[in-house]
Amino acid sequence: MARVGVFIGQFHSDSRIAFDSLASYAANLRAVEKVRLLGRRPKVDVKSLAEEIRRERLDRIVLAGDSPGYFKPAFTRALQLAGGDPGEVRLASFREHGAGVAEATDRAKAVLACAVHGVPYPLVAIPKPTVVHPATLIVGAGVAGIQTALEIADAGKKVYLVERSGTIGGHMAMFDKTFPTLDCAACILTPKMVAVNDHKMIELLTNSEVARVSGSPGAFKVEVRKRARRVDVASCVACNACTEICPVSVWSEFDSKLSHRKAIYIPFPQAVPNAYLVDPEACTWVQSGGTKCGACVKKCPKECINLDEQDVSIEIEVGNLVLATGYEMLDAAKVERYGYGKYPNVLTSLEFERMTNASGPTGGKIVTKTKKRHRRRKVEEWVADPQGPPPKSVAIIHCVGSRDTNYNSYCSRVCCMYSLKFAHLVREKLPDAACYEFYIDMRAFGKGYEEFMERIKAEGAHVVRGRTAQVIEADGQLVVKGEDIVQDRLVQYPADLVILAVGLVPAIGTAELARMLGVPRDPDGFFSELNYNGDPTYTERGGIYVAGMCQGPKDIPDTVAQASAVAAGVLRSISTGGMGNLDSLALSEIEERAATMQVRER
Amino acid sequence: MAIRVNPKLINELETYGAADVQNCYHCGNCSATCPFSKEPFVIPRRSMRHLQMGLEAKLKGTLEPWLCYYCGECSQQCPRGAEPGETMMSLRRWLTSRYDLTGVARLFYRSWKAELVALILVSLATMTAFLVMGFGIGHGSLGVYAGAGALFPDHLVHLLDLGLAALLASVLLTNAFRMWWFTTGSNRNLHISLWLYVKNVFLLPYHFLTQARYRQCEKKLPWLNHLAIFLSWVTMEVLVIVLLERLHSAETDWAVHAFGYLATIGLLGGTAYALLGRARKSETHYKHTHPTDLMFLILIAGAALTGIVQHASYRWLGLDSVANIAYLIHMMFVIPLLAVQIPFSKLSHLAYRPLAMYLAAVHADALTSRQAGAAETEPVRLAA
Repeated sequence: MARVGVFIGQFHSDSRIAFDSLASYAANLRAVEKVRLLGRRPKVDVKSLAEEIRRERLDRIVLAGDSPGYFKPAFTRALQLAGGDPGEVRLASFREHGAGVAEATDRAKAVLACAVHGVPYPLVAIPKPTVVHPATLIVGAGVAGIQTALEIADAGKKVYLVERSGTIGGHMAMFDKTFPTLDCAACILTPKMVAVNDHKMIELLTNSEVARVSGSPGAFKVEVRKRARRVDVASCVACNACTEICPVSVWSEFDSKLSHRKAIYIPFPQAVPNAYLVDPEACTWVQSGGTKCGACVKKCPKECINLDEQDVSIEIEVGNLVLATGYEMLDAAKVERYGYGKYPNVLTSLEFERMTNASGPTGGKIVTKTKKRHRRRKVEEWVADPQGPPPKSVAIIHCVGSRDTNYNSYCSRVCCMYSLKFAHLVREKLPDAACYEFYIDMRAFGKGYEEFMERIKAEGAHVVRGRTAQVIEADGQLVVKGEDIVQDRLVQYPADLVILAVGLVPAIGTAELARMLGVPRDPDGFFSELNYNGDPTYTERGGIYVAGMCQGPKDIPDTVAQASAVAAGVLRSISTGGMGNLDSLALSEIEERAATMQVRER
Repeated sequence: MAIRVNPKLINELETYGAADVQNCYHCGNCSATCPFSKEPFVIPRRSMRHLQMGLEAKLKGTLEPWLCYYCGECSQQCPRGAEPGETMMSLRRWLTSRYDLTGVARLFYRSWKAELVALILVSLATMTAFLVMGFGIGHGSLGVYAGAGALFPDHLVHLLDLGLAALLASVLLTNAFRMWWFTTGSNRNLHISLWLYVKNVFLLPYHFLTQARYRQCEKKLPWLNHLAIFLSWVTMEVLVIVLLERLHSAETDWAVHAFGYLATIGLLGGTAYALLGRARKSETHYKHTHPTDLMFLILIAGAALTGIVQHASYRWLGLDSVANIAYLIHMMFVIPLLAVQIPFSKLSHLAYRPLAMYLAAVHADALTSRQAGAAETEPVRLAA
């Protein structure tokens, strides 16, 4: 057995290690012949050290402390002078092996014991995997949540898909076309939505929100609050009888408030689950406490409406949590100079997306809004009427609230491309209309995007480099004022329709969710991933993953890719168990393993 | 013609107070927001561009900074915090130093200590000159303020006024000529007929007296404040140069003194508003304060306050000796203000501003007559 000398330095004054206890622990280890505390700023004299080594007949030196490597050359030289093997100076680096926090002394003892036995600490201290519950809960059922759910469920593991609104699909379900291929968004998404609905391993919890999360990675307990849908999903056949009779009409969120819906409604015809739901804020029955209306209940042929249904909470046990909460549009009215909210024909990108969608309020016709009298409410409203006059010129303004230190200093990443897509749709549907694109820098970063931009330019859109400063109204005509940087001149174009490429911000409730789960957020408000380059799907909290826009703005291909990658991480953790926890390893366990470990001799 | 690039131009301008010019990413927001930005003068982005590219010659020949009145709209809306408004302000300082033949303006703008030393030296020289004039040449006595035996007799002061005015006018005219040469005379692309110069000449007194262009800014209060200080100052100049005898008459001559009171209120109110605004940084154009701005305001306020003391002690209290001392101190504020700030520093804009408005109108007319008949062109479609 080797005769070991242990030299302990207290190099950091803020160390939490109890050095006296450590020294006595080292002295009691079997092979240790000599323990010396070096103090805070040791002066190492090689000659006297060599003398000491020779006197004690040491053939291994353990140099311990926080970052002790600085003194290694001196000790190596001393051991050499004393006639020992210079490779037998072993470092026990406390801080580097995590002995900086709670239980610091225990960790330091373990590190020291491994060094005394001449085996690397990381090879000894491998924690046992923890047991991971096979079910997964996904928050948010946009394209990211749907993709992750399908990947995990297809692998045969249980998925709970929690969605705040009445249908899954998220923002992508609202889109008309996807860039740069100009595929129809619904053609890609609806099959996935139906697959989610039909999958026996996916339990869909729409109209629900995560209320509380407890437990630890691998064994989370999640309380989900299911808001009352007031329509039985299983028996509803979506016959539309209730909507026809409902007297209350409010703006449709799904149509970006371009059209009306009833208080009992289905967000859109392809909604999943394909069942109606009641908006309790608008429903006369709910608001009057069950004394008025109730027309839909009498009309329903399947008797599936229960307007008095109450919210319920359910508790679910899962091993992993996936955050796919998506985004919101920045409130365009905040950017006052573009007149959103003031001029009816200044639209946000999402509103235009609905307008140009064949299943949207105008049946895909691009029109200017017209004033109409609401039949029941007797008020004048600006509505997108399919018979309305088409615009003669359309202006699309990029970077509204993005790349602007007054609003969001970050780039929202998708606006350039969808704006180009809009220009294509305008030119395609209204060949006689002029289309102006105002941009600062064109960020066509993806596969086929640059080519897409060249194609749009060739199609005859006026692509103007320069941000619009203002949208004003002169004699009932909207005028867009800006500077054309390339031509070096000021420009003013009349525009019947102005589309604002509004920047993206994290979805409402992201902050509360982050607080509830202990997941950090970026300064911009998006969830922080563990490592931007290496671990873009993990978070600092074990067992919690991020997918899609909630981690930062990204387009559909990137979202889907990240969502699939999340599924891989979840499935790995279910099949091999979690990372385990070093703190769960007892000191005696490490000692025993270090003593018995066979280390190959050099 | 070869274009020289000065890669250190931004660094140089930073010594004149500019900051964050490099932040600009040329979205054009500022130019499209600016109420003055009108073809052919695209302000302020074009100058930002020239600055970033180091095109010193182009900047030296531009009128654009003089067309900006710093309402701050561009700086507020700038998505990059590039402070285009403050850049325009710094460019005006830089241009002032370029128009100045002697190089003194350059020294003063780059080192406020130099300007302060110059102000103090001129102030002390004024004191010496007045004491020599009063006691040595005039043989006056401290106890007499006006009339026979006065310490500072009106005719001598008047002579001094006229002499200083002639000196300042010659310096300003030289600088103004240089400004014309840089911006207009040396520009071979401009073909300006004599008629255009004559046609627009009314703009010189018009802009000088009203600062009408300043009024076009969205906020009117800065213009009113500027106008108040300016008109008060002009009134004072007229009173002391042309009507000094009536100002010093034994009886209070209300036809003259009423204007004096009004002007004093204007000067004090105006400078107080500006100083407070700068202290509180209440407006965008008050956010950045160059030492020369402060010296200018303090000199005006000092002149007004000592003027009040002098007037009060002579008219109301009958303390002629106090009035004489107050007058001496008053002149120690006024003469440096005129002799240093008009030719070499902030006050020189009283010549450059109206001249710029005038030349801008001439330029615009010249360009319009050249493009006469050319229809407004459609945006050029970018090639595929």
